[in-house]
Amino acid sequence: MQGNSTTRDTNSHQANPEIFYAGAVRRISRAMILLAVLFTIFALLQFNGRIALGFLGGCAVSYLNFHWLERGVAAFAERVTEAGSRQSSRGIVLRFLVRYVLMAVAAYVIFTVSPASVYGLFAGLFLPVAAIACEVAYEAYAALARGV
Amino acid sequence: MRKLSNLFMALSVLSFAVPAFAQGGEAAGGGVNWVAITAGFSMAIASAVCGLAQAKATAAAAEGLARNPAARPGIQLALILGLALIESLALYTLVIIFAKVK
Repeated sequence: MQGNSTTRDTNSHQANPEIFYAGAVRRISRAMILLAVLFTIFALLQFNGRIALGFLGGCAVSYLNFHWLERGVAAFAERVTEAGSRQSSRGIVLRFLVRYVLMAVAAYVIFTVSPASVYGLFAGLFLPVAAIACEVAYEAYAALARGV
Repeated sequence: MRKLSNLFMALSVLSFAVPAFAQGGEAAGGGVNWVAITAGFSMAIASAVCGLAQAKATAAAAEGLARNPAARPGIQLALILGLALIESLALYTLVIIFAKVK
């Protein structure tokens, strides 16, 4: 039954690659959560609790940052194509800039509370890059093995 | 737009001022803390170039969307990934600077 479902998914991807690529952002978000959990456990076991906490904070900031980036780009695209509700360009730009303020505040708080966990924070901030790398690998696999 | 431009200019001037305040005890003895100064310039250059790259990517995406609104999903995905990766370049610089200055 599961095999039939997988075959159907593969066939639908082959029929319409746009569906497959449209799910890339959702897959990246899921990969970020998965990688955050895995690497936090690794940091906890390999280093100490402070670094793991800093890493978790960095992951949370980068996840929020990526989510807001996605929403900002969607609002921007809506604005350009004039599809859906019209949002003010000032609001879009402000939302875009607030992301940097959030990152700066989080980095300052973590640096003030525990300077030792800054390395964990920096590592956590690279979570989207790792998730995008995972997505690239998955898409390469899908293209080569399944012909999507 | 003009106000925003002035704000960014003021912020860039402030970022250039940071290395002057970051000089440590060695500088007080007469030596110049070149690492801190270079780090400040590096971060300023990296931020400026990343900002320009993001602006170029966004402008190209806006042009593409205006020409062909039907291509929105593909352009949107490429823009999200591009902006995230460009931001990470500035973060790489920050990490290297942090490791060197500390």
